[in-house]
Amino acid sequence: MSEVVELAERALALCSGEAQVTVTRERSLLSRFARSRPTQATAVDDLTVAVVVLRDGQTGSAETNLTDDDALRDTFARADAAARAAAAAGPGDHPGLPDAPATYPSHQGWDAATAELDPALAGAALARAFAIAEQHGVEAFGIWTAGEVEEAIASSTGLRARDLVTDAYMKIICRDGNGRSGWGAAGGSAMAAIDADAIAKRAAAKVPRSEPAELGPGEYPVVLEPEAVGELLQFLGNLAFNGLAHVEGRGALEGKLGTRVAAPAINLADSPRVPATLPRAFDQEGTPKAPLPLIQDGVANAVCHDLRSGKLAGAQTTGHAIEPGGSAFGAIPTNLVLAGGGATDSAELAAPIERGLYVTRTWYVNPVHAKQTLLTGTTRDGTYLIEDGQITRPIRDVRFTDSVLRILEASEALTSAQRFVSAADFYGRRAASGVVCPALRAQGFRITG
Amino acid sequence: MNTDLLEDLMGKAQGRCAYAEARHVHTRAEHSSVLNGHVEEVSAAESEGLGVRVRIGGAWGFAATRELSTAGAEEALARALAIAEAQPSAPATELASAGEPARGHWESPCEQDPFAVSLDDRLAHLFAAEERMRGDERIVRTWAGCMLVRTTKAFASTEGAACTQVLTECGGGIQAYAVGDGELQVRSYPNSHGGNVAAAGWEHLLGLDLAVHAPRIAEEAVALLTAPECPEQVTTLVIDGEQVALQVHESIGHALELDRILLGEASYAGTSFVQAADLGSLQYGSERLNITADATVAGGLGSFGWDDEGVAGRRTPLIEGGVLRAALSNRESAAAVGLAESGGAARADGFARQPIVRMTNVSLEPGDAGSVADLIADTDNGLYVESNRSWSIDDRRWQFQFACEVGREIRNGELGRLLRNPSYAGITPRFWGSLDAVCSPAEWRLWGLTNCGKGEPGQAMHVSHGAAPARFRNVQVGVA
Repeated sequence: MSEVVELAERALALCSGEAQVTVTRERSLLSRFARSRPTQATAVDDLTVAVVVLRDGQTGSAETNLTDDDALRDTFARADAAARAAAAAGPGDHPGLPDAPATYPSHQGWDAATAELDPALAGAALARAFAIAEQHGVEAFGIWTAGEVEEAIASSTGLRARDLVTDAYMKIICRDGNGRSGWGAAGGSAMAAIDADAIAKRAAAKVPRSEPAELGPGEYPVVLEPEAVGELLQFLGNLAFNGLAHVEGRGALEGKLGTRVAAPAINLADSPRVPATLPRAFDQEGTPKAPLPLIQDGVANAVCHDLRSGKLAGAQTTGHAIEPGGSAFGAIPTNLVLAGGGATDSAELAAPIERGLYVTRTWYVNPVHAKQTLLTGTTRDGTYLIEDGQITRPIRDVRFTDSVLRILEASEALTSAQRFVSAADFYGRRAASGVVCPALRAQGFRITG
Repeated sequence: MNTDLLEDLMGKAQGRCAYAEARHVHTRAEHSSVLNGHVEEVSAAESEGLGVRVRIGGAWGFAATRELSTAGAEEALARALAIAEAQPSAPATELASAGEPARGHWESPCEQDPFAVSLDDRLAHLFAAEERMRGDERIVRTWAGCMLVRTTKAFASTEGAACTQVLTECGGGIQAYAVGDGELQVRSYPNSHGGNVAAAGWEHLLGLDLAVHAPRIAEEAVALLTAPECPEQVTTLVIDGEQVALQVHESIGHALELDRILLGEASYAGTSFVQAADLGSLQYGSERLNITADATVAGGLGSFGWDDEGVAGRRTPLIEGGVLRAALSNRESAAAVGLAESGGAARADGFARQPIVRMTNVSLEPGDAGSVADLIADTDNGLYVESNRSWSIDDRRWQFQFACEVGREIRNGELGRLLRNPSYAGITPRFWGSLDAVCSPAEWRLWGLTNCGKGEPGQAMHVSHGAAPARFRNVQVGVA
């Protein structure tokens, strides 16, 4: 029995009533660099014991990283006091902790070499990035990171679950003396997904070699690289497929399930076992992860639920709880996969465009109007003009303000190849995630500044 | 909490690296919220651990552990040393001075311990406000929430620092969501994104008078459903204090972080349009623009006795009369631009993250425009906006676009129609150059933000900004 499983069992034994214990242990290493020099290197070995207690349909939760029995008892007491206080205000709508499922799906999301977290591998990858950057007359900025996360759930209903995953990621921004930059990144469950040379070369090749032109406000045809598509889809996951927001009438798909919301070529699913994604065996309530088609041939098909939002909607959980006991934010997709199309590459996507925009990635995206999936953000690290079907000159980064669903409705073609893209920012306890998606071409991308 | 373990560890680090520091941090946080007549969330979180940072040559190594024994601390030190040694070689550079070694104890002000207020009392307080937003069938979501945080820290370094600190934070807010005819509108008080949090006790939450403001918030959310859209135009813009605070945060605070200016954050948070050579000369805004970074102001989430490199908290003018005077710095970035001493702005999010350059309390100093009513009366025509809804700024902190929850026409010095979905955009120095009035000290207050993201792995920092309502000329509005 692993230390994490043992700890979950020991903590549960100190609880009473209806309770779930979730133990998550993170071991991680992250090396940063800037101007082709190492800047920060962070190693974390920490865990979280989260206790959820149910009383009359109300939940109370508490967590700690202290593991002695007194601390675990105290954590349960806090969760229990929270649940009792909530219940004293009236019964809640939680349907109760689930029983153990028959089985959990297996996956290939753990890699022994990655779990070593060898700082020498980080050092070697950084050195390669610096060398490639120097060859191209630019400087390298970015991160190399790897992590191992083990999670165990034990509940009073007999549910027992354990998952063990690794992840690895490297991103490189190459930048010249004039501040012009290019982007490269790769990630996956295993270190084998990272080829520092290839990432650095891709980033160096994206650095504009001439002064950028200006592109004024207006609506343009656009080719969005996978990093840009992935960021938009992450926001769509929160704004359109959040089951709690949907049932409360706040969701972007309210009244639209079963109707066309995107171009027929758009097939979007939450697919936790697609090889390129970061697989997980279960969600934070212990529900097995399973594929969920969200948009099929352009038609909105489903939203995501955890136990509580499912009950409110008169539906079952779809296995999308993001916190033990369910999140007040709601339930959202965690393994978005957008199916590829027929285009060979971005150059082919650009071919029909007389004058348009090529976007490598986006930056500082935020919702302007949630129900309309209206977002604003800027482009970054490789924005080019498309002229007469060719990706030609660099243009200065632009601000866009546009609706994700409108962009998907106006999508005309997608590349066949998909790529795993990730923000890899790792706030709080490490929970690596990302989107698998192709590049796409859409009409009418709205530039506002 | 004391510094014994840390001081012993620093003794063991001496001679094995150029510099070492260790922080022992214990954090306790509680969140409570009610929604639509029910309890939405009651949660508590506690963490404790040790972070050790070492410098070998030009490379840093940092390791965090929850093992607080001597053996656990030594293992973290060994891991930090191994990581620093595994980095590609980089030229060794000096760190700027930390000043007098940090010694002693510091606590933030707290009149009524928020953790001593019973959960039942906290929930009752929230319900009292939440229920006053209910009633209209178009209101689909009524929310009230509060948060309490207490952070206890110990710090020691190989340069003789050994200090402890206790920081207590408390705050909250309310929100009403209205839905109708495919439209969703939200109003918040006293601020969006969770309310207003201060380095204070329960007295801060009581002072917000959430229940008093609840009916108005709900009425405005409903009224916005049928209000006309904010038109696209160039006009005079009066911005309420909480949105001014975010404007300062995004277009001044982050732009003046010296690590960004020196490209150290280019891989994530971005850079800055400001260059190191601009310090002392750049015309950042109009003569009405006076900005300070003050880690000594009572109630500020960016206040402390010492920063997380052991540098004493201080008040530093950043912009005076519109001219850039200084940047936010830590020991490494200060040395890089030739400063003898750190600016005291190194902060870390918990024990498992290393200190980086962060804002303290970066504030717009008050002006002489009187009350917000006086300011509006002094404005012929324009737009008055409140409560942030959306924010975005490019990676150089140059071009920005913000949306607010509510706008109101200003016509002939009086407030007119309610306008929905107001937004505005600008270029940082031009926008601040158009500042022509800031309300007086009576309108100035601290606005706490608890979601300032930066660093890799990510760190969410708590900062405050002092601000008063302010007026800007010739601003592009209605862009979204």
